Amino acid sequence: MELYQLTAEKLSAMLANKECTSEELTQSVLRRIEAKEPEIKAYLTVCAEEALKKAKEVDQKRAAGEKLHPLAGIPMGIKDNICTRGIKTTCASRILENFVPPYDAFVMEKLHAADAVILGKLNMDEFAMGSSTENSYFQKTRNPWNTEYVPGGSSGGSAASVAAGEAVVSLGSDTGGSIRQPSAYCGIVGLKPTYSSVSRYGLVAYASSLDQIGALGRSVKDVAMVYSAICGRDPHDATSAVREYPDFAAGITGNVKGLRIGIPKEYFGEGVAADVKEAVWKAAKALESAGATLVEVSLPSTDYALSAYYIIASAEASSNLARFDGVKYGYRTQNFSNLTEMYENTRSEGFGAEVKRRIMLGTYVLSSGYYDAYYKKAKFTQLRIQDEFNKAFEACDLLLTPTAPDTAFRIGEQVDDQVKMYMNDILTVTVNIAGLPGLSMPCGFDGKGLPVGCQLIGPKFSEQVLFDVASCWEQQNGGFDLAATLA
Amino acid sequence: MNIDIRHLAKLSRLNFSPEEEAKFSGEMEKIVELVEKLPNLDASGPLIDPSNPMTLRPDRVENKPNRNELLQNAPETQAGCIVVPKVVE
Repeated sequence: MELYQLTAEKLSAMLANKECTSEELTQSVLRRIEAKEPEIKAYLTVCAEEALKKAKEVDQKRAAGEKLHPLAGIPMGIKDNICTRGIKTTCASRILENFVPPYDAFVMEKLHAADAVILGKLNMDEFAMGSSTENSYFQKTRNPWNTEYVPGGSSGGSAASVAAGEAVVSLGSDTGGSIRQPSAYCGIVGLKPTYSSVSRYGLVAYASSLDQIGALGRSVKDVAMVYSAICGRDPHDATSAVREYPDFAAGITGNVKGLRIGIPKEYFGEGVAADVKEAVWKAAKALESAGATLVEVSLPSTDYALSAYYIIASAEASSNLARFDGVKYGYRTQNFSNLTEMYENTRSEGFGAEVKRRIMLGTYVLSSGYYDAYYKKAKFTQLRIQDEFNKAFEACDLLLTPTAPDTAFRIGEQVDDQVKMYMNDILTVTVNIAGLPGLSMPCGFDGKGLPVGCQLIGPKFSEQVLFDVASCWEQQNGGFDLAATLA
Repeated sequence: MNIDIRHLAKLSRLNFSPEEEAKFSGEMEKIVELVEKLPNLDASGPLIDPSNPMTLRPDRVENKPNRNELLQNAPETQAGCIVVPKVVE
């Protein structure tokens, strides 16, 4: 057994008991990266030297008897839209190809304080816009279960690295499903936390009212460990909640007795593949036999969520991405004769097609004469969806659904059909629209041997309940088997 | 449906070749058709979110990155300033 194969939970204990050092562990993961990267292409930047330096520092602290955080010495990867001081942060875009942030995101400050070892920056869809990581300007990441298939997106590098053993855990971001859908496609656990529980300071903004940083790992406890480390109040994010958080990993009981699990019928419609429904039902039944009660609930406006999501997200994106103008940082065109041309050519050369489409859509729905028909109506639809969730949570403690309508698709299969690509997010966007926490856990395989994801959705700040339920299923079902993706 | 791609591109500070424009036009129509699916509801009231009050921090200088560090990312600099094309004709 190689060290890179183990979970953060196990490694944390081994490090504490001095059964291995962080340097040995980091070496093991770096060797794994070297071996698998040519095939998987999850990383945009690998910081081997800095990682080893940090690992040695942590080992020295431990040898000196310092009290360390559970994540101390654990090597992890970071999605490339999270600012890392002194390390390139590209958002997988040409426009930020050479951008080196002069500051750390709040979550990075937290991880540094916890003495986590940062391995490097992970590939993604450009500016987190996409569901397959094919929209990266630099490379296409592959699904470790079958390298002909996409890893999902936009946090495709975050999911693929963890599923291939190229990182113990990772950070991603989720605006409409970008942590949960790739977690489902790669057979790992991914948490999109409650909006406002993790600071967005230093996360390159896509849709500020929906964006949230979260964690990906090969076990429920690993994800809980990372979430505990990154959540909390940050004065630099005005939407950050003023609140105390427990130690989620330590609080996991795996007990579901008496919990009411809602099954929203709208999430099991005809667009959902039969294999997916079957695997998700199996998980629901297993939780029922562990003592939970299954209740049927209804969220009638689910059908409208995708429209509302794409309108709100694109509107915010068109405004957020106005800052990329070639003036203060990032790419600047060489081809211009006046200021307007500099703006237009910089942006046209610097952004990829999907980013342009969303900027154009956002500009359209906000433009004079269309604002009321699109943007305002979408915002009211959002309120209705929030109300429906609140009502559903009177009848149950959490909801259980498929994470995505189908398993991973082949690379190139959906690139020319945006509408089909957008449908990948149909079961995840509601969670962002309502600001709720959502967790995807692996619940089996389809006929092609690709992983199926099951999504748990709870009321705001109910992460502990989601961890308990996921942990109960994990204990029954067995954890992630890295051996299956080793080939 | 008639989406004026050229006007939107201008507002978005983007430009497209005639071929790109034709392709985008078709794609945008399909996307707008998708997002038009919204319920009939009264969307006339104000849009506020009372459950999500924001707390602003005091306006105080802190942790200021130094000028050189900030300028390292600028496309063109001269004497500690960012160089831009002429703004006022």
